Amino acid sequence: MVLLKECTMAFAGTIAFALLFSVPKRYYPWCGAIGAAGWLVYRLALQTGNRMLAAFLATVLVIILSRLCAVRERCPVTIFMVSGLFPLVPGVGIYWTIYELVMENMEGAISRGTAALQDAIAIVIGIIVVFELPQKLFSVARRK
Amino acid sequence: MTLLQKYFSRKKAGKNRSPAPEHRPAVPEQPVFRGHGVRDQDVCDLALYAGHILLESGAELFRVEDTIHRILRAYGIHSENAFILSNGIFLTAGSDREGYYARVQHIPISSSHLDRVAAVNQLSREISEGKHTVYEARSILEQIRQMPEKSKWAKILCSAIGSGSFCVLFGGATRDALTAFIVGGLLYLLLLFPLNRPMSKIVLNILSGCFVAGCSVLLWKLGLGQNLDTIIGGSIIPLVPGLAFTIGIRDLGNGDYISGSVRMLDALLVIFSVALGVGVMISIIHALTGGMI
Repeated sequence: MVLLKECTMAFAGTIAFALLFSVPKRYYPWCGAIGAAGWLVYRLALQTGNRMLAAFLATVLVIILSRLCAVRERCPVTIFMVSGLFPLVPGVGIYWTIYELVMENMEGAISRGTAALQDAIAIVIGIIVVFELPQKLFSVARRK
Repeated sequence: MTLLQKYFSRKKAGKNRSPAPEHRPAVPEQPVFRGHGVRDQDVCDLALYAGHILLESGAELFRVEDTIHRILRAYGIHSENAFILSNGIFLTAGSDREGYYARVQHIPISSSHLDRVAAVNQLSREISEGKHTVYEARSILEQIRQMPEKSKWAKILCSAIGSGSFCVLFGGATRDALTAFIVGGLLYLLLLFPLNRPMSKIVLNILSGCFVAGCSVLLWKLGLGQNLDTIIGGSIIPLVPGLAFTIGIRDLGNGDYISGSVRMLDALLVIFSVALGVGVMISIIHALTGGMI
């Protein structure tokens, strides 16, 4: 139930940011769905207790879906990737780290900072790995 | 030919890297029709203009490179050399058979317009298919440059929705999300109206951070939300440079280290300034109220 609520929110939030990035209107549903799917996988995988694994799996799913959508809609993959990854990007994690530093709460800064760094590394590896897959694999999504 | 020679000749053939071309037709062997009286220079100008729009709208570096290359090849120019940074394009061309051309263009990064990236991508595909003369393509690019932005009120609403929904993702309750919704909307109102003028990015983000913290504390004191941390976390989401971060990683992954690190540095700097602004504001409130929060 909580998961459903969060996924709806990830869907809405991703579409809101798709609009702020001026994504063409007809791609909104795709962007939202990719964002929600990424968040769902992230939350489910987080239950294994391995933060990096969760972020990695979610990123891999988001990028695979983005590449499929890009082939299907014949448009740059950037559109789907940027919006779909938005819920996972550790921007707020880094913000919390710096905030704790400014407030001189070193323990908080270290734990927040480690988490943000883990997320960032997992996302970097996820993006790079999936973009190394050959384009042929994604041509199944091509519309005739 | 020995096996080793074969290996190296194949390596050379694959030199022009174009990572993950999203379903694009191959560049035609015969150049497509340019239109009457079109000089090589005009073709280069066209390609540079396309690259300009892509780069300032937030495309990855390899996409800019790839598009310039495709447009020039399609119109039959083979001697081009493009060197691209995150905020500039250096394009030269010229050989015995083709006219000489050299231009450097500085391109300040503006806000992200992914619809323009998609439109230029579509145009470059159509050029490869021979659908446009150079003048037609030029006028289409002018139109793409003037594509309307979303209205300011739509942006404010989206910023509010984004803040509210991300507040829930960070574990906020419904009341927190409502507060973040209001603060996120107010933040964009501030960014689009009073602060909408050229100023240092660092100062702008510190001010925004201060504003978010001030508003959140005020609403929290009025009893609207419960958890101040999640409210502020959700409300600063519209400031988070997700695009710069993601594109930066892609640039780094493609080996465009200069552009990638510039973008990552930009993203980090923005977040640092926002956090600094929030921290300063909270400290001031602490000092004024004698540690009430």
